[in-house]
Amino acid sequence: MRFSFFKGCFIPVRFPHIEKVALQVLPMLGVELEPVEEFTCCPEPIGVNLPHRFLGTVISARNIAIAEEKGHDIITICNGCTYSLHQVNERLKKDAALREKVNKSLEDTGHRFRGTIRVRHFAQVLRDIGQNRIESLVERPLNGLRVASHTGCHILSPPDVMDFDDPQYPVVLDQMMEALGAEPVKYLHSTQCCGWTLSNFGERAYANKLLRDKLESMKAMRADCINVICPQCLAQLDTGQVLAARSERLGFKLPALFYLQYLALALGYSLEDVGYPNHRVKSTNFEQKLGGINA
Amino acid sequence: MVLNIPYIHRSLLGPIEASEICLKCGVCCVLDGYSCPVQYDAQFKPTYTYVYDCLGAETPSRNPNIWQCVSCHKCEETCPYEVKPIQFIEDMKQQAFREGLAPESILAEMKQVVTTGYAFPITSNTAKQREALNLEPLKVNTSLINLATKLGVKSQIMGAETNYEI
Repeated sequence: MRFSFFKGCFIPVRFPHIEKVALQVLPMLGVELEPVEEFTCCPEPIGVNLPHRFLGTVISARNIAIAEEKGHDIITICNGCTYSLHQVNERLKKDAALREKVNKSLEDTGHRFRGTIRVRHFAQVLRDIGQNRIESLVERPLNGLRVASHTGCHILSPPDVMDFDDPQYPVVLDQMMEALGAEPVKYLHSTQCCGWTLSNFGERAYANKLLRDKLESMKAMRADCINVICPQCLAQLDTGQVLAARSERLGFKLPALFYLQYLALALGYSLEDVGYPNHRVKSTNFEQKLGGINA
Repeated sequence: MVLNIPYIHRSLLGPIEASEICLKCGVCCVLDGYSCPVQYDAQFKPTYTYVYDCLGAETPSRNPNIWQCVSCHKCEETCPYEVKPIQFIEDMKQQAFREGLAPESILAEMKQVVTTGYAFPITSNTAKQREALNLEPLKVNTSLINLATKLGVKSQIMGAETNYEI
């Protein structure tokens, strides 16, 4: 399976180690990534798409058209990119009048939206590859590691469009962690937003309270760490956790890692290899558990 | 199971009329662990929720609180009467932008995307980290500037200060 690799903005700018891990581990599952230099921001759904929906639609359509020229589906590593690109892709495939209008705006760019490809989040691709296939490649099962997965809003909803998981009772990430040998943890606030927009367009103090509830409900279920598939969620649950721990006086630490990092660990990579030293939240309990697995 | 009563005439209504269908039951903002994240803002209470604040404002597009909505769809999923507060709030964001009321942080992000192709500024730290990981350096992509000009958006966003950093 070959894909045009849509790495987005936030990962290459702020978490390049996740991009590195994606480039290393996805090909091991038969997912080949083709770099595309002409891609721009998806664009970011809240800051750009909503204030001017048509501008957002045209920018997404341009990205999709470029991928169409390369002849492969798009693979993303961010819920936000998936939300913007997938929704525009599906809308334009159905709405001929809007497609014409968008293509008219794209005229001078030399690109044209045709509606020939799909937009996939890497978690959708891995879900479709299947638990059994992932399990068969695991060299070091993460046995005994209790993982609280946070799926994030924008890949769940609207569910009929996004086609990933049940927004009220998500299970896919838990199954994907099980494939790595880890123990998925159910917790009360699993579908609550990470608070990204609340801290950036509202007040950080309120996002800290949201994070407190979320993290405490994970801790109550004896989670060792957190699993995410979106860089904004990662920023909130990692850097945001440090800020919330300070203001809300949290007495514990739950390292947050991207699913691809857990996958890499189970395939034999070390914590250093997957860029764990770059994360703000580190815990010896988590490191020792992994150390036990690696020994 | 969520009680779901379809309001079949919704498509015939404008956003303001559609918002008037809200029964003020509060479900969208007070379900523990599964509701609107903006409800954490201390100005909102179970008896005066974030969604009432957006739907009930005198001139909703002038209400700065609309910009706190993350479009998580929780309100839409839990509403027993298919009011879809998210659609209303998103419509109001577009109206506010047209009226020149979008906050500086939004305009700055739009400018950042249009002028560089990235929503987040490429810093020297980015370059350093990428080099250490043996990843290609990131290049600014200016191909969206012409598109924004063509759509008449450029003049509206170019005045914004792009010191957008989180």
